[in-house]
Amino acid sequence: MDYFSEGLTRAVELLLSLDPEAFSAVWATAVVTALALAASLLIGLPLGFALGHFRFPGRRVARLFVDWMLSLPTVVIGLIVYAMFTTRGPLGEWGLLFTLPGMGVGLTLLGLPIILSMTATAVESTDVRLTETVLSLGADRMQLLFATLSEARFAMALAAASAFGRIVSEVGIAMMVGGNIKWHTRTITTAIALETGKGEFATGIALGIVLMLVALVVNLLVALLRRRAVA
Amino acid sequence: MSAPLYQLRGVEAVYEGNECVLHVPRLDIARGEILGLAGHNGSGKSTLLKLLGFLLEARAGSLTFDGELVDRAALRSAGHLLRRKAVLQGQDTCLLKRSVAANVAYGLKLRGLPAPRERIARALALVGLDYAQYGGRPWMRLSGGEARRVALAARLVLDPLALLLDEPTSGLDRASTEHVKRAVLSARENHGATLVIVSHDMGWLSSCADRVLTLEEGRIVGGL
Repeated sequence: MDYFSEGLTRAVELLLSLDPEAFSAVWATAVVTALALAASLLIGLPLGFALGHFRFPGRRVARLFVDWMLSLPTVVIGLIVYAMFTTRGPLGEWGLLFTLPGMGVGLTLLGLPIILSMTATAVESTDVRLTETVLSLGADRMQLLFATLSEARFAMALAAASAFGRIVSEVGIAMMVGGNIKWHTRTITTAIALETGKGEFATGIALGIVLMLVALVVNLLVALLRRRAVA
Repeated sequence: MSAPLYQLRGVEAVYEGNECVLHVPRLDIARGEILGLAGHNGSGKSTLLKLLGFLLEARAGSLTFDGELVDRAALRSAGHLLRRKAVLQGQDTCLLKRSVAANVAYGLKLRGLPAPRERIARALALVGLDYAQYGGRPWMRLSGGEARRVALAARLVLDPLALLLDEPTSGLDRASTEHVKRAVLSARENHGATLVIVSHDMGWLSSCADRVLTLEEGRIVGGL
């Protein structure tokens, strides 16, 4: 276990000394996660709400498609995005392969189904009596829509937290679409994979600590949001 | 003598499945009247209440409310305005995931009206709840009986023209039942609301209602 405790000590040193290589990976992670999460929320929340709230032809098929997207292996998503962005691919001229925005697109495909599915489920499962209650109190259609949205707010916050957790911890897509380029597209997870492969546990552990701290902060924020929303 | 608040002529209502569950050849409900509806489960009482609360559209016949014919077009274009005059409290209590005060104020906010603390406190007091104790309490920290009383307060605060109540005292203990009964009657005493009350408590209906109609298999079969 010595290597582990040594690794842990070295990890703390790296973090306290603001090691530039480690923080470059943290920065890259922050950028791609922010891009992917923003895109997932912008697209996923309204579409997920529509999927859960409105009844339209083809709704069941759309639901099935979203659930299928949820179960797609990340390596397949990475492969598809790589194939699209490679120089011979249909979107090759956009020059997104091995860039942070390109990784953001790949990770959006990972986060979007989570937001879509959880939002739709949240809206569907808002109390069936809610509609009757809100209407009987005098709500028009728009007010009913906002009330439903408001009642599903905790679940939607949890959807965002779940998508964040999935995006920030993803390795396959980040590795395939980003290429794990040092100082450029190397994220926390790809750096951990690389450093562990090289036997450099300290850097891996240091980055792992950052990742766990981020997860802790996000969960605390969700808990806080839940409490505030209730009050 | 003023025209009745509600006039129903040959009204039929159906749920999904097209089976007629309510047939009312003729029914007038006067302004300020307390009308009791009695009958077995499934006799059409709640359906009639939903019809009067504009949550259900009649398949046939005509329904006039406050001098206006309420047809499909009126329900589509101004259903929410009608529901602001005739407020229904359903059998199942549903509160919004908000505080007690926010729940009581919700209907006022939907109407763009101010919801001062005094008005909310007054409505809560009507159902026997103290604002200082309950106002800030989240919805999930209420008992079933308290939730029902909050739901009633949320309707009383609106001073509706008609208040439609589906078994307002079911599942309540004796003290809560008394509070609810007094609060319900206060709606007529304070601003002359028309009350339509569905209840299995025949003793209460007989004592407080101007008329009690009995429904059976979707038809009015008797009245007191």
